[in-house]
Amino acid sequence: MKFTITREKLHEGLGAVAASVPTKTTLPVLANILVEASKDGLRLSGTDLDISVSTTIPASVDQEGATTLPARKLVEIVKELPNAAIRMTSSGEQRATIECGKSKFKLLGLSRDDFPAFPSVKFEGGWKVAAKDLQKLIQHVAFAASTEESRPILNGVLWELRADRMRMVATNGHRLARMDVPTSGHGGGQADLIIPPKALEQIRRLFGGDEEIEIGKSDNHLGFRSTTTQIYTRLIEGPYPNYEQVIPRENDKSLTADKAALAAALRRMSIVASDQTHRIRMAFTNGACKLSVQTPDLGEAQEELAVAYEGDSLEIGFNAAYMLEILKYMPTDEVRMTFKAPERAATCEPVGWDDPASYMTLVMPLRLVD
Amino acid sequence: MTSPALRRVAILPDAVANQIAAGEVVERPASAVKELVENAIDAGARHVRVELEQGGKTLIVVSDDGSGMNRDDAVLALDRHATSKITSAAELVGVRSFGFRGEALPAIASVSRFTMVTAEEAEGTEVVVTGGRLDSVKPAVRQRGTTVTIRGLFFNTPARRKFLRSVPSESRASVEVVSTLALSHPSVGFELQVDGETRLQVPPGQDDPGRLAGVWGPDLAGTLVPVNYASGSVRVTGYAQRPGDAAPTGRRTQLFVNGRPFRDNFLVRAAEAGYRSAIHPGDRPSLLLRFDVDPADVDVNVHPAKLEVRFRDRFTVERVAEEAIREALGVLEAAAPVGDWRPMPSAGGAGHSVPASLFAPLDGSDERPEEERGVAAPGTFTAPVTQLFSSYLAFEGPEGLVIVDQHSAHERVLFEEVMAQLAVGGAASQRLLLPETLELTDEELDALERHREAIEAVGFQAEPFGGRSVVLHSVPAPHLRFDAVACFREMVADLARGRFGGWANRLERFAATYACRAAVKAGMPLGEAESRALLFRLFQTKLPPHDVHGRSTIVQLPRDELERRFGRR
Ligand SMILES: Nc1ncnc2c1ncn2[C@@H]1O[C@H](COP(=O)(O)OP(=O)(O)OP(=O)(O)O)[C@@H](O)[C@H]1O
Ligand SMILES: [Mg+2]
Repeated sequence: MKFTITREKLHEGLGAVAASVPTKTTLPVLANILVEASKDGLRLSGTDLDISVSTTIPASVDQEGATTLPARKLVEIVKELPNAAIRMTSSGEQRATIECGKSKFKLLGLSRDDFPAFPSVKFEGGWKVAAKDLQKLIQHVAFAASTEESRPILNGVLWELRADRMRMVATNGHRLARMDVPTSGHGGGQADLIIPPKALEQIRRLFGGDEEIEIGKSDNHLGFRSTTTQIYTRLIEGPYPNYEQVIPRENDKSLTADKAALAAALRRMSIVASDQTHRIRMAFTNGACKLSVQTPDLGEAQEELAVAYEGDSLEIGFNAAYMLEILKYMPTDEVRMTFKAPERAATCEPVGWDDPASYMTLVMPLRLVD
Repeated sequence: MTSPALRRVAILPDAVANQIAAGEVVERPASAVKELVENAIDAGARHVRVELEQGGKTLIVVSDDGSGMNRDDAVLALDRHATSKITSAAELVGVRSFGFRGEALPAIASVSRFTMVTAEEAEGTEVVVTGGRLDSVKPAVRQRGTTVTIRGLFFNTPARRKFLRSVPSESRASVEVVSTLALSHPSVGFELQVDGETRLQVPPGQDDPGRLAGVWGPDLAGTLVPVNYASGSVRVTGYAQRPGDAAPTGRRTQLFVNGRPFRDNFLVRAAEAGYRSAIHPGDRPSLLLRFDVDPADVDVNVHPAKLEVRFRDRFTVERVAEEAIREALGVLEAAAPVGDWRPMPSAGGAGHSVPASLFAPLDGSDERPEEERGVAAPGTFTAPVTQLFSSYLAFEGPEGLVIVDQHSAHERVLFEEVMAQLAVGGAASQRLLLPETLELTDEELDALERHREAIEAVGFQAEPFGGRSVVLHSVPAPHLRFDAVACFREMVADLARGRFGGWANRLERFAATYACRAAVKAGMPLGEAESRALLFRLFQTKLPPHDVHGRSTIVQLPRDELERRFGRR
């Protein structure tokens, strides 16, 4: 193997792949990056067996070949090298020489045969979606997935592909996010896929916004690819809980507020909220919203906020952390919340979003005790 | 029926009076042993030897190397109310010797075949009494000291004899009596033979811990920590078992007041209260406590066998007992596990003082100094914390490396929080978007029903859903990795099986169950911020070093020890 590459390109390529290399692993080869030189350029790959990432970058290849090199050391070396051409050669299978200007490194690696093969996924008959649509979904929904391990299904994000739209839903059972994006056909059939948020994060990060992504599926894996990048992930087995039936349709009270003002008030209240439950209380009467918090052994706080409120008055408790999180992902300056009763789900939606997508989040209340 | 007219008031013949007194003083062989050994100790013996056959029913021999008696005293000693120990009623107040009534010897002699050989100096005396009748008094040869031999106890009172228990039971009672006396007099040597077998042997001139090891055995003695506490005119010394070593069975307790052993279960219970929730409720710690009070504050003559005493101010004595234990365990925390220090200044002591409303003087008109206003921000735990084995939190303390068991620590935190919640109202409860349906057993449904109020107070809302199903609508959120369904299942199962049955208090029992099941588990990786928050909360509890099972939550590797191991000392 023999190739020359700009330091900049190599740095970029390694940056894309290194995040998929596990920091702790019992299988030594997983700490390495697979480096393959071919006519198409240089392909770099990393995997933690759940998620695999590979990216192809331009390089002038004199001699094809492949090896694996320790990811961490390779990244550090390239980071410290001057901005000049880097020449990499490997004589044996498990040893590479890196030269750049007057610097020269020899790195020991492991045979490429030790590196796990990527899942074989059929892209023919799969889907084609715009990266920016997929990224929009991921950015607004993935945060709501559960991190608690008792219900593995909720650790994933549901991705529904339909003829004219895509939808993502995530929930931890306390709050939920859902977004629909209309599409003009994606080539493939209808599907419900449950994807680990970690894989979605790589997808959001690594594809260019204007790229078209091809998606292929095997029994338990999903592959995403563009001309330069490939991402494979294990799928979480379904079925996803029937979230439709818990999304409230009869909420008859609504509040429209300035997102920044509401978030600022919530942040102030949460200073004196309990560290565990972050419980705050909201009381709505015509045209006014009163926030308050009372934590035994700590103290209390209250604040009034000018809002537009319609409906009977209501007092309801929330986990302020959930509310703040939801507001963080709201794409507009104004938000609309709806309520029914102190023990029923509340919703939150953007107001005046000029985007074809539709977005809704939901949060379950905390019981109030007097 | 005899005619009342024939009755005359008469002084009872001595023999009869003695027999009646004997009914009070000597109810079983062990009581005779007790009286005789006490006499030996009162006589200044350095060594006392006791021998029993058939649990003392056939033979009791007590010999000592005390002062002995001359011929006249030996005979007089067998008269009722003959005592050398007090001369007036006034002296009864604050009496320090065991004997003071002059009743024991005549009482015993009236219901047995009694022989006493005693010598003050060179020549000795043998007195033989049978059923209270003086048979003979003759010179005998003996070293200084006294030997009393009792055969056929109750031979002349068959009714009493019939009430004696089995030989092992009577033997056990005597062993108990001698053990107690041995504990109260470490300077006196004791030897106890029961049917040819040595049941106790301790040399004279021992110190307190040595005697304790000799009598209770080195294993049990090794689990004790010293108690030394005084408050007002009451001083408590002795030993208390480490909370972690207390077990439901095999405990031993011993109380003394001014050196005199006595029984008092309420006082033992008061001392146990000093453990608070540091021990598993079923566990009974071993305790040896010596109370020193002003002799005028305790009446020792309220029980015929002097087994009980009456304190003038019982409430104070109980309080001091509890404080003494608490203080002793506090020292334990400093010695082996961790000190009484809290890693951060706890502003204004336990609990922030929160005024009724913070809002009254929001305009700054509040004149009180900052710290009194109770608005001080809650402290934080600042030392760097490392998680070990996903189960322990380690950090640098002022005296060494401190290691905290995360599950035990969280259990302690939750236990106290839940107790507070049960007292004032409910915890925050998160409504579930996707309610969980669970199948329970009949016993579990029953337990759920019985504890419904407490279960709701901690934040679970469960509703019946037909058959044996219940639906969970709301759950508490004690930590980030909380698995509400698993916690609920385990908690209900524990409640159904009465796993924490030892807690006397129903609410404590519930709180312990919930705390155990809701706490972060061993093996859960915790983030740095989470670890710090847990430690902060732990050190705000009333009893950080112990979890609800009485296990340690904190272990300390002292810096000294570290330096020793690295050969720096
Ligand atoms: N082992 C002994 N060595 C020396 N003197 C003894 C011994 N046993 C008894 N005496 C003497 O005999 C007296 C009577 O003993 P006895 O046990 O009957 O009464 P007490 O010890 O004075 O009072 P109590 O009835 O409360 O035990 C004692 O006061 C003591 O002087
Ligand atoms: Mg006596």
